[in-house]
Amino acid sequence: MTYSDIKIITASPDDFEINRNELAQRLRCDRNSQIVLPESCTAAFNSAVRYKCAYIRTSVELNEYICDFGFMKIPSRDLYRNLTGCSEAFVMAFTTGIAVDRLLARLNITSQAEHFITDALSSAAIESFCDYACRIIRENTGCVPRFSPGYGDLDITFQEPLLSRLSARETLGITLNSAFLMTPVKSITAIMGIKKQEGRT
Amino acid sequence: MKKITELIKEKRLYFDGGTGTVLQSMGLPPGRSPELWNLEQPGKIISLHNAYFDAGCNIIKTNTFGVNRCKFANYRELIAAGIGCAKKAAQGREEAYVAYDVGPTGRLLEPLGDLSFDEAVSIFADNIKAAAGCGADLVLIETMNDSLETKAAVLAAKENCDLPVFVTNVYDASGKLMTGADPLAMIAMLEGLRVDALGMNCSLGPDKMLEIIGQFREYSSTPVIVNPNAGLPEVRDGRTVFNIDADEFSDYMVSLAESGACILGGCCGTTPEFIAKTIAKTRNLPYAYPEEKDITVVSSYTHGVVIGKDPVLIGERINPTGKSKLKAALRSGDLNYILNEAIRQSETGAHVLDVNVGLPEIDETAMMLRCVSAIQSVSDLPLQIDSTKAETLEASLRMYNGKAFVNSVNGTEDSMNAVLPVVQKYGGVLIALTIDESGIPDNAADRVRVAQRIIERASEYGIKKKDIVVDPLALTISSNPESAAITLEAVRRLGELGIKTSLGISNISFGLPKRELITATFYANALQCGLNCAIMNPFSEVMMNTYYTYRALHGLDKGCTDYIAYASAEGAEPEKKPAADNVSLHSSIVKGLKDQAVSCAASLLNDTQPLDVINLHIVPALNEIGEAFEKKKAYLPQLLMSAEAASAAFEEVKKRIPADKTDKSKAIVLATVKGDIHDIGKNIVKVLMESYGFTVYDLGRDVPPERVLACALENNCKLVGLSALMTTTVPAMAETIELLKKHDPDFTAMVGGAVLNQEYADMIGADYYGADAMDSVRFAQRYYGAAE
Repeated sequence: MTYSDIKIITASPDDFEINRNELAQRLRCDRNSQIVLPESCTAAFNSAVRYKCAYIRTSVELNEYICDFGFMKIPSRDLYRNLTGCSEAFVMAFTTGIAVDRLLARLNITSQAEHFITDALSSAAIESFCDYACRIIRENTGCVPRFSPGYGDLDITFQEPLLSRLSARETLGITLNSAFLMTPVKSITAIMGIKKQEGRT
Repeated sequence: MKKITELIKEKRLYFDGGTGTVLQSMGLPPGRSPELWNLEQPGKIISLHNAYFDAGCNIIKTNTFGVNRCKFANYRELIAAGIGCAKKAAQGREEAYVAYDVGPTGRLLEPLGDLSFDEAVSIFADNIKAAAGCGADLVLIETMNDSLETKAAVLAAKENCDLPVFVTNVYDASGKLMTGADPLAMIAMLEGLRVDALGMNCSLGPDKMLEIIGQFREYSSTPVIVNPNAGLPEVRDGRTVFNIDADEFSDYMVSLAESGACILGGCCGTTPEFIAKTIAKTRNLPYAYPEEKDITVVSSYTHGVVIGKDPVLIGERINPTGKSKLKAALRSGDLNYILNEAIRQSETGAHVLDVNVGLPEIDETAMMLRCVSAIQSVSDLPLQIDSTKAETLEASLRMYNGKAFVNSVNGTEDSMNAVLPVVQKYGGVLIALTIDESGIPDNAADRVRVAQRIIERASEYGIKKKDIVVDPLALTISSNPESAAITLEAVRRLGELGIKTSLGISNISFGLPKRELITATFYANALQCGLNCAIMNPFSEVMMNTYYTYRALHGLDKGCTDYIAYASAEGAEPEKKPAADNVSLHSSIVKGLKDQAVSCAASLLNDTQPLDVINLHIVPALNEIGEAFEKKKAYLPQLLMSAEAASAAFEEVKKRIPADKTDKSKAIVLATVKGDIHDIGKNIVKVLMESYGFTVYDLGRDVPPERVLACALENNCKLVGLSALMTTTVPAMAETIELLKKHDPDFTAMVGGAVLNQEYADMIGADYYGADAMDSVRFAQRYYGAAE
């Protein structure tokens, strides 16, 4: 097994703020509502979560609505449009870690209220971690917004070659099930194009 | 050539190093599977192996790491070619062994993933069958980061070949596998499965492995393998390199050898140079085969529990004897009740959970398998598999994630012949009851003799004395006043012989009033006699008092910290806490404070009729938060917290209403329809329905139409709530409604879920579309004409 060009970012709950609007939306509250979560939910989540991201920087060739990353060719008009003007991209995967799955499984038995709240908190948290990690990954390069399998016409089956390229089982503990859904459940894969003129370093 | 398991007793052995690293330097393109070269470029694979043998290593790994039937249709060919290349390189060399290399499947096992344990075993078994007969000298199961998948691979190897089995796992910087196991948990499980060598590989450099090796030295009686990476990857001058070079690597390997590693090698980033330098520096270091560790350990998928001086509490609550609610749960297959008991026992301080699901009218093996898997998804405590049936023990031990307590064997020939082979194969710590064909001896000396006979017979199966914990049987003093003294004497004598002991403590007081008084005092006496484990009720305050005070008094609780934490905690039973004077049930519910709502309800019930507590306190509070939700002055999280507080209060009230007076007339069947696994919405409706006093028959998710109909008919419930989150499963909802209406047009179907709207609901023949959970409750109230 070799994953020599893969870079890793980890973070703790103190490293970034969870986006309040995102959280409100997941909790089915109004955007600007004042949300006070039960202390037990945030404490349990913070002690379970292990944020981790793996990524590579790779070239991408765009040709007739096919995005060719070398290790995978993706036919997708939406991704093609997203990557227009890019000749390189970051290919990334992010996760909260498996202990969050175990926490949610336990809460699903003990308290539906805490389960609902913690599930929403976890979803908002992984999105915020993506934003945080992308800021670090992007550094001084100009990038287009990140794009994930499942958006538009980008089929989720492409999570397989993407995760395989990142050795995601070994680096992040992410596996796919037969329906191409990820475990840990709060995991995200994404591609972030690097704009040509600013991408040259 | 000597068998490798013999040679390792005499000297330190050496694995090869990285495969991908070297093959990439030979031109393997990034992203290309190295295993394809077994057929395409066999010469290069042979030269890779030769380079490592020339560097001095004894064992080479075949280039078959990623090969299995899920990834390669021609897996048999690739495996045979891979072993063939390795054999060619080994030919004519002394002490040169070929390890058939097995990597993970790439999928995660149930309950967290979707690969069943049996399927995983079958995938690995196909690999082993393909390799058997190709001439490998051993099987190496490596880079495993999940304990259960490791177990599946080991069983497949053991069941399909006679080769020695070596196992290495991937630990992260915190010293744990990706799914949580620490070295003690892995050593316990793997030694139970009788692997020939175990250890760690990949992910970490030798410096980090040095921080973990101490645990292997402390707990492992099996030779330890250490195959680290060449540190961590770094980009230098545009090139990716590992940050530890061969000189530094080999220096660390000296320390690892001195710390007890018996087999040294390398993983990612290491090359023949790394191995040659490691061999040169460690070849002449003194070598010692690991000594047998006299440690009794049961384990889960995260940690081990050592049975020794510090008393171990085995929670007894998942055992139907005398527990009507558990019996009902087992009969109806309601795992939620059982899982709640598991979680509550974990939270109150049990170290191990006994699981007994034996009821004459259910399929005990099937239920035990369901329970073990489900409990292991919500609790990380080791389990005690408790059954009188050998087939139930065998089926559960096979898929149990860890090394379980096995309850039990006794001194009869029938029992020993049935149970000992099972433990021999799957591992486990066996509870041995001192009973034989003549019954239970009436004196301590004879009980000890029965125990010794079981230990002797077990040794014939290779089961060690340390893996047997003897239960000299506590029998009630109400029928024999001497029985406590006999049992205590047996505990003492067994301890003197170095035999660990366990007792089902509460039996001692059977048939007597205020049983806990007798039980707790007996427990204290037994601890004083050296008892190691007690199967007991962790919800019993007096028992836990005894446990904590004993540990504090006997120097087992440094600084009395555990005792102080226990004694300072608020009462474990919320209903025993007095409600604060200025807090009402109404406000507790509105604020969503569950424990407080229970206390308030308990106080109110002292001078208020149960129905008044419901109608004058609980329902108005719920209505208040419900209306606030409808007016968008409160949000879903608050509504849910309030509903749970109301449900908890409602449960408290129900305790005061005789069972036959419980109103089951207001009921609803709830299900997430077939094909849909999203059940959050349905669960929210359930919580709210229950808080309003409806009886909810919750069928869970992915429920076929026939089951919905069967449940509705069985419970004579005409109101059915169906949920679907995905557009693809709305047809299943339509199908369910059609089936219900066809059977009886009086069935009323309420539907809800993210993809539904009124138009959709009308189209599929639903009677009502619930826009949200509160809306659903309002409809149910109108349906039963009870919106009072």
